[in-house]
Amino acid sequence: MSRGLIYKGIFIVCIILFAIILILPTVGKNTLRVVMSTTATQEDIQAVKLRFPESNYTITARENEFFIEGYNLNVAVMNEVKQYHGVVDAQLLPHWAEKALLAKKINLGLDLQGGSYLVLQANYHKIEEKTGKPLTNTEKNEITEQALELLRNRVDKFGVAEPSIRPKGNDAIEIQLPGVKDPEAVKKAIGTTGQVEYRLVDDVYTQKANQWLKQYYAGKALPEEQLELNKLADTLSNAIALPDTLELMFYYERHPQTGKLFAAYPMVLEKKVALAGSDISKAWVATDEYQQLAVHFNTTPEGAAKFAEVTSEKNQGRKLAIVIDDKVRSAPSIRVQINTGQAIIQGDFTHEEVTALARIIKEGALPVDLSIVEERTVGPTLGLDSIQSGVKAFVVGVTGIMLFMFVYYKFSGLIADFGLLLNGIFMLALLSWLGFTLTLPGIAGFILTMGMAVDANVLIYERIKEELRAGKTPRMAVTQGFSRAFWTIFDSNITTLLSAFVLSQFGTGPIKGFAVTLSIGIICSMFVALYITRFIFEMITSRGTLQKLSI
Amino acid sequence: MEKIIPFFKYRFVAYSLTVVLIIIFSLQTYRNGGFNWGIDFVGGAKITVKFQQGVDTAQIRKVLAHNAINATIQQVGKDEDNEYIIATKLTSRTENVEESTKALRTILQTNFNNAEVLSIETVGPAIGDFLKRSAGKLIALSIIIMTVYLAFRFELKYSVGAMVALIHDIILTVLFCGFANIEINIPILAAILTIYGYSVNDTIIIFDRVRENLQITTKQAFIDVIDKSITQTISRTLLTLLTTLFAVFALYMMGGEGLNEFATILLFGLSIGTFSSLYIASPFVMYWEKLTSKQS
Repeated sequence: MSRGLIYKGIFIVCIILFAIILILPTVGKNTLRVVMSTTATQEDIQAVKLRFPESNYTITARENEFFIEGYNLNVAVMNEVKQYHGVVDAQLLPHWAEKALLAKKINLGLDLQGGSYLVLQANYHKIEEKTGKPLTNTEKNEITEQALELLRNRVDKFGVAEPSIRPKGNDAIEIQLPGVKDPEAVKKAIGTTGQVEYRLVDDVYTQKANQWLKQYYAGKALPEEQLELNKLADTLSNAIALPDTLELMFYYERHPQTGKLFAAYPMVLEKKVALAGSDISKAWVATDEYQQLAVHFNTTPEGAAKFAEVTSEKNQGRKLAIVIDDKVRSAPSIRVQINTGQAIIQGDFTHEEVTALARIIKEGALPVDLSIVEERTVGPTLGLDSIQSGVKAFVVGVTGIMLFMFVYYKFSGLIADFGLLLNGIFMLALLSWLGFTLTLPGIAGFILTMGMAVDANVLIYERIKEELRAGKTPRMAVTQGFSRAFWTIFDSNITTLLSAFVLSQFGTGPIKGFAVTLSIGIICSMFVALYITRFIFEMITSRGTLQKLSI
Repeated sequence: MEKIIPFFKYRFVAYSLTVVLIIIFSLQTYRNGGFNWGIDFVGGAKITVKFQQGVDTAQIRKVLAHNAINATIQQVGKDEDNEYIIATKLTSRTENVEESTKALRTILQTNFNNAEVLSIETVGPAIGDFLKRSAGKLIALSIIIMTVYLAFRFELKYSVGAMVALIHDIILTVLFCGFANIEINIPILAAILTIYGYSVNDTIIIFDRVRENLQITTKQAFIDVIDKSITQTISRTLLTLLTTLFAVFALYMMGGEGLNEFATILLFGLSIGTFSSLYIASPFVMYWEKLTSKQS
């Protein structure tokens, strides 16, 4: 063996070792640290222990912490355990290879580990209507960026670990919540804009509207559907000939039995906003003089001036409505002028609503209306099934290919099989290194590339066979076969790479995953076929004494 | 010299096969009521529900019909799992998907005890439009990129030949979706784009050999060079198709519901892609050559 070959060999062994270490955090054992609350009962502890049976996991306890070691511990499991009663915190400890080599884990996509995927579309029409001119793209981007920050805060409050919240184009936001089975609560929190406004009530028109309603809508409850309600508001406004400066809204009350909010009666407000959420600097929850929960707030200096103006003598006796997300929730009468910039939002609020309100005021309202236009939620069992069938398909497919290669190409087929295994390891290693998120189409891409990976070997072997038939020595045939097949392999793989690249430009996550695994598979297979298997063949034929090549 | 298989001689058999397939597929697609666009493209909702034992498709259909919901119901997985996918498509663009999905969910849960919702997907009409547009753009973009690359690496005639074969594959695959009533959704789009890459890959292997053989022998007629090149590469072409089909077949058999149709499309498309490399791409180059040599 020449010195060059020896160096090559050492290099290849190093790369293989490196690749194996890289995939350890993904396929090896991981440790989950669970912190129990000091008040956790024996049952709480037992529940956690039951979740991780001793046959599969080793649990070490230290004071109020558990260290659970085993396979299949991922973010979804972590989020699940976090919800357990008595659990304060749970976190996955980084694997030693992650610390040592900056290796990352292959994350499972929502379709595999379960979770929710939401796309929120920003509705700029309202803003454009208000300002009277269309928004530019940069403005839209800015608004989306602001909304993104606020959403991040709101989602964080739910304790969902590793949520992914990012813009999608310049008018939508994509949210991924691993491990969240029922996204209703999260949706509620992120879906509301949290817009708070103080607006003066116009009593004359409010009365007109109610009279009209009594006459033409007598006895009937107001519709529950938002769309119906909007229609009604339009008819009503027309019927009472509402001037342009006023707007008809509905006053919402809470149903005494169900606790649900419903539109109780119409109320006409001035379009001009007397005090907006942005005028408030500080908000907190406290009880009012009637021992009811209310939001107390301080305004900004400008806000104080505005508030003083609106509560001044000329408006005393009038009602000042508090509008939250386009619903009138309270309308106290103005009794005294407020100059201090301190006030209270009172009304028929639940504890949850008051805290949410205070929080929203503190954080600021969403700068734009967001509506959910796409939602994909996958339960954890469905995901697990998908992984299992994916793994099964992988094993069967690869075994079939390997058997075939061995039968058809004999010993050379075994070399190709070895290359195929290496190819799998390299792919996993690269995907781990990139911290890739594996989805179901990603698994499909993985399996598909395993089938395509031997293509390079087949091309080379067929070429070598031709050279052998032409009467060349094994050594010559190997060299010629590899060098002649090189450009063919290169050209044909580049086109597949190109289509994978185009595919990766397609917005949705799963397709991106498929494209990435496909690309990585092609790159790995080229490296393995053109470098590693070539090295093996060179080694075998290097003595020059080989009479016949088993191919 | 080895025996050369006269592929070119049989080209008309191949053309008639293509034409017959297109006609059959189109007719069946028409009978199926057009293409079955998935909710990814038209908007709508898709719910996977696990019911209690004893619930069957007819029962679900009855309950839904009673509530004036038009949905497709499909059982998935093993029989004893009793899992169904219920999909409703948007009927009007103003419909609120969010609300109607909630309603559907409530109906299922109130009418069937212990109906467990395993997954929910809702897609609004705007997203559907966006996806449709970008899918079209993608396909156009990849054709342009590949034409340019191949024209750069080979000659224009080869590049155009490969693209004609490609378009042939895509048309047939999409028609196959209509024929087999396979829902066209995002994974299917991914499968089609994979067939893309694969089909070109096959074509290139043959063209690469044609180019090489043209350099060695200048005297041979172009037809003979093409036949010779196909003969020389045919074992490779079939072998790779076989190994890839192993993988795809495993996906088809064991990949579970999520990948079944995806694998079906790949099985069909990869085979047709190989066929078109032999019988569409190569003859095209041949005709082009004939035309241009006559002119000069």
